[in-house]
Amino acid sequence: MKIWNFFPREALYECYQCARCTGSCPALEVAPAYGPRETILKCLNLGHEAVVQDEKIWLCCTCNVCEDRCPQKIPISDLLVALRNSAARRGNIPGKLSIAIELLAKTGRSMIVHQLDEMRAHHGLDPLPPAPVEEIRQILKKTKLNEVIDF
Amino acid sequence: MKYALYLGCAIPIKYPGFEAATRMVCKRLGIDLIDLPFGCCPPPTSMKLVHYDSWLALAARNICLAEEVGADLLTLCSGCVNTLKEANQVLRKSDSKRRKVNRILEEHNHNFKGTIEVTHILDVLYQDSVVEKLLREKVTDIPLRVGCHYGCHYFRPPQVMYPEELSPAESYVPVKMDHLLSLIGMEPTEYSRKFLCCGSPLGANMDQDAGYAITRQKLFHIHERNIQAISVVCPSCFEQFDMGQIALSRKTKDLPKIPTFYLTQLIGLSLGMSSKEVGLDVHRVKSRKLLETINITG
Amino acid sequence: MKDKPELAKPVYRDGDLRIGVYVCHCGKNIGGVVRCEEVAEFSKDLPNVVVSRDSLYTCSEPGQEQIKTDIREQKLNRVVVASCTPRLHEPTFRAACEAAGLNPYLLEMANIREHCSWAHLHDKDLATEKAKDLVSMAVHRAALLAPQFELTVPVKRVAMVIGGGVAGIQASLDMADAGYKVYLVERSGSIGGRMAQIDKTFPTMDCSICILAPKMSEVGRHPNIELLTLSEVKEVEGHIGNFRVKVLKKARHVTKECTACGDCTSACPQLAPDEFNAGLSIRRAIYMPFAQAVPSRFLIDMNQCLNNQGIVACDRCFQACSNKCIDFAETDRMLELEVGTIVVATGVDVYDPTALTELGYGRFPNVITTLEFERLINAGGPSGGELIRPSDRKRPEKVAFLQCIGSRSKRSNPYCSNVCCMNTVKDALLIKEHWPETEIYVFYIDIRAFGKGFEDLFQRARREGVTFIRGIPGEIIEDINSGNLKLLGENTLLGTPYRYDMDMVILSVGIRPRSDAGALQRLLNLSTDTDGFYMEAHPKLRPVDTTTGGVFLAGAAEGPKDIKDSVTQASAAASRANILMSKGEVKVPAITARIDTNKCVACGMCARVCPYHAIEGSKDLGYYRVIEAACQGCGACVPECKFEALDQAHFTDAQIVSQLDQALEKDPNSKIICFACNWCSYAGADFAGVSRIQYPANVRIIRTMCSARVSPDWIERALIKGAGAVLVSGCHPADCHYNNANQNTLKRVEKYWKRMEKLGINRDRLRLAWISAAEGAQFAKVIQEMESGIRKLEPKAIEVAAEALTKRKTKKVEGS
Repeated sequence: MKIWNFFPREALYECYQCARCTGSCPALEVAPAYGPRETILKCLNLGHEAVVQDEKIWLCCTCNVCEDRCPQKIPISDLLVALRNSAARRGNIPGKLSIAIELLAKTGRSMIVHQLDEMRAHHGLDPLPPAPVEEIRQILKKTKLNEVIDF
Repeated sequence: MKYALYLGCAIPIKYPGFEAATRMVCKRLGIDLIDLPFGCCPPPTSMKLVHYDSWLALAARNICLAEEVGADLLTLCSGCVNTLKEANQVLRKSDSKRRKVNRILEEHNHNFKGTIEVTHILDVLYQDSVVEKLLREKVTDIPLRVGCHYGCHYFRPPQVMYPEELSPAESYVPVKMDHLLSLIGMEPTEYSRKFLCCGSPLGANMDQDAGYAITRQKLFHIHERNIQAISVVCPSCFEQFDMGQIALSRKTKDLPKIPTFYLTQLIGLSLGMSSKEVGLDVHRVKSRKLLETINITG
Repeated sequence: MKDKPELAKPVYRDGDLRIGVYVCHCGKNIGGVVRCEEVAEFSKDLPNVVVSRDSLYTCSEPGQEQIKTDIREQKLNRVVVASCTPRLHEPTFRAACEAAGLNPYLLEMANIREHCSWAHLHDKDLATEKAKDLVSMAVHRAALLAPQFELTVPVKRVAMVIGGGVAGIQASLDMADAGYKVYLVERSGSIGGRMAQIDKTFPTMDCSICILAPKMSEVGRHPNIELLTLSEVKEVEGHIGNFRVKVLKKARHVTKECTACGDCTSACPQLAPDEFNAGLSIRRAIYMPFAQAVPSRFLIDMNQCLNNQGIVACDRCFQACSNKCIDFAETDRMLELEVGTIVVATGVDVYDPTALTELGYGRFPNVITTLEFERLINAGGPSGGELIRPSDRKRPEKVAFLQCIGSRSKRSNPYCSNVCCMNTVKDALLIKEHWPETEIYVFYIDIRAFGKGFEDLFQRARREGVTFIRGIPGEIIEDINSGNLKLLGENTLLGTPYRYDMDMVILSVGIRPRSDAGALQRLLNLSTDTDGFYMEAHPKLRPVDTTTGGVFLAGAAEGPKDIKDSVTQASAAASRANILMSKGEVKVPAITARIDTNKCVACGMCARVCPYHAIEGSKDLGYYRVIEAACQGCGACVPECKFEALDQAHFTDAQIVSQLDQALEKDPNSKIICFACNWCSYAGADFAGVSRIQYPANVRIIRTMCSARVSPDWIERALIKGAGAVLVSGCHPADCHYNNANQNTLKRVEKYWKRMEKLGINRDRLRLAWISAAEGAQFAKVIQEMESGIRKLEPKAIEVAAEALTKRKTKKVEGS
């Protein structure tokens, strides 16, 4: 996958490594993540190939605060989406996430619980109508999700 | 005022109490809701990261359903509103993406046109006419010190979520929940790192403990200001605070637990609904004692 | 009907036309892209060309000598130089012609550098072909040039300086010392500006007010300087040497008899934040801006005074004043000044970091800006020079400086503010000097210590133990009990996250153009760069001139700069103004409009559009005529004349049409004809070239002084000749250099669009674009868009359109 089709590469050249992004990053405070500054620097100096193979790029809350505070208005969240799409294609994807996607593809919803009808009745609600699973599966086949996740 | 109610996955499945509260509040405030066979939004923190094209196509399908009945989409979750607003914007702007998605959807008789808007329950309640009605219908104040947590995806990136409220120079800071809650007698209280992430996506995708470590920081600052209640507009954030406090208390018992509320639950209480009606009985951090101090029972 | 006077001058024809063409390589600047020998060879075959040469540097002494020799020996009577923009070297080559006895207006230039080689770096063939076209256009125009004789106008030996900061002070003193009368117009109650607010200067650590105060008093007592405080420029009319200025002098309400005893201020009940102390202290409604203020007189802030409703509700100050010098009844006055030169030294605003919510400025009392810090450690400041922090008035033990706040950012100012790095280093050293045990951390991206003595100062700060950490904090958290601040960020050199607890944080805020810089810009017809600072006439060679003759720039209004640079520039501006005043006269370009009174039917249409009321006449008189001294040469009147009685010297219809015809000689369908005004759009195209912004090579630029000179007939001719598209470009509507003459441009183009629509011609083929001198990228973008429009055009459509236009024209001629 050509990630620069998804993200304007020239925007990266405007980064001058002030680290306001990493300084704002909640994931970096609690986990051994990269931080956006280092991700951008690696993309610039080593190429994005070096980045997408590292599982650390998944240590991100997707909270977009980095982009909010970037003085150069670099669309960092778009970059991180593009990089992780590329990583997933190479099989670099956290187990919890691939299970979640598989569930979504199979049931049309991203979560599942026991005794749902009883629970809804407790709150005076009707049972939840079934999800349009077949239509969703067909759409996902056409978008070629199976190239990344088997379902 | 009519909207297509987009419930998403977490609310009808995990927190049907929010759904019940929302439906009742909307009815009382004259907001009509239409139910349609929607699928998963899908989340900006999962499908979008793994497979962008699938994310866009599924989001487009949901938008199409609302377009077909000519109603704006009303979402109840920060993740859903983020996905659907961004997809709506992307598909309106990019001819090539719209063509690609429509080729996929045409077999199912959908065609994205870009004719409706995507909105969130907070923005709907914040409209002048709804606020006027709320003030007329309100039966009780809720005099508690409340800390609002908006959830990152509700407002970031602001150029996608609230382009019309944006100034080029300033960091965008949402205020609607604080304003709305002050109208029902609550005391919105500022706290440090108010706009920090709740930790949910990190916990869900990678490391539960790391996710809760972020929640813990937020809770620290919330405690610092003697806040009595936390208000959220997203089921994932809710889980992080509600379940999170239980999980965190297993390790350390230093801080008292603070009940967390979904926005429409608080509005429902002010409209005279009971705490069971709005679904507070199933929350992990109990609010009964707190509400008794302000004479809200049942 | 009365007798009409004779035409002013006969058409100049000195025997046969003999044209010399000089193609300049400009080193590799042109020669590296355009094959100059080939262009010179090509020029030999152009009509009336008797000499054609290429040379490495035509502007060099030997290059100019060659031209002079050829004029003498080859009897040249027209010269064409193909080189850089005429905005740069036209005066050089005109002087060379004049030296060899040729009227300077018989020189024509082809701009093959900014508009050709630099804009089409990667296609030598296309660039060479374009250069040939440009030379051919110039040669044909040259054949139609006529000698012109410039009018001399007197220069009033009086100057006005706008802004009383250090730059304005220096410029005033330099001109006053040279013997000229100077009006120094200052908006606030005292001169002194930003420098008076600063505690020490870098890199020498001088006491700022100590070195400024003597200069301020000198201004106050100088016999040649008339100081106008509380005054603002409201109107400017006229031109170089003769400006008429209206200045609003606001009432001070305290007369000259004030002895600055201060009895009034202690009696005043009204409080307001003290602007001089950056709001860190309070003052009364009647106050002295600061101790060293010049003039040393109190003033009443009428927004705060209880008497601001026109009735005297409180007279405590009046009662307290033993000299009885308080006058509540004083009113604002409009002064009318006549000056020959103007120096603009309006200075800068500082960036307000409230917008960066993550840093907590405005919410956390211990987060302050550098300007507030300057007042805080100044002996005359609110704390008497004690280093204290606002929340609890305790002395901070750990202090952080954050660099680049509001600078180098698309969220605020995209440029480097130039002074903040050294200012921080200086401030850090000041703290170390008095309280050496204080821990100081500077969070930075790059430390820019480029000036004389700067690196030394930076090294000294490091030796004194100031810690420099690379990486700006992403967020500041306040501890609600102590008011201490936690800085969250990343040390980029170590690649590790940090959390620092600080007692006080100082935001090193950038500087930005005055928020109301636009008002003066319009009054004086100045240009601004993309950052909003006033633009110099040439960034290297005319750094204090503006494009408006007689108006000069000094200090940070032109761009961020420190005190030394401001003073240097002020002296330079004063010197430039002094040259004009010392000479006492100046020649104005002979490009005025001329009316052929024999053809004039006295309809008066021309007089109606003249922005300078420079055309007079009447039906009774039977004709109209141009007042040459008042005409500024925009040419807006010419297209208005339906009887071919009007023309503009040196920009005649015939001359422009000859350029147009040559530009469309070959392959017209693929060409874009661009009419560009001299001040903005032509300069904008120059700027695109200087910035090496690349755009399609099929555009041919024809210069007029103002876009209002562009005649709809030219547009029609271009379309009939099959031009793919026509661009009319000028200054942005409010920025026109000729008193909004370009309103006419808009009207005429809109009218022509309607005609095109009526005839079924694709109206996108005529475009109107406002492009300023700083908008090189915008120029390139417009050309690119037009180029892609042309590509979609069918040749058949162009042909049909041309036929329709021709038919309409013939019908009109037959009809009349």
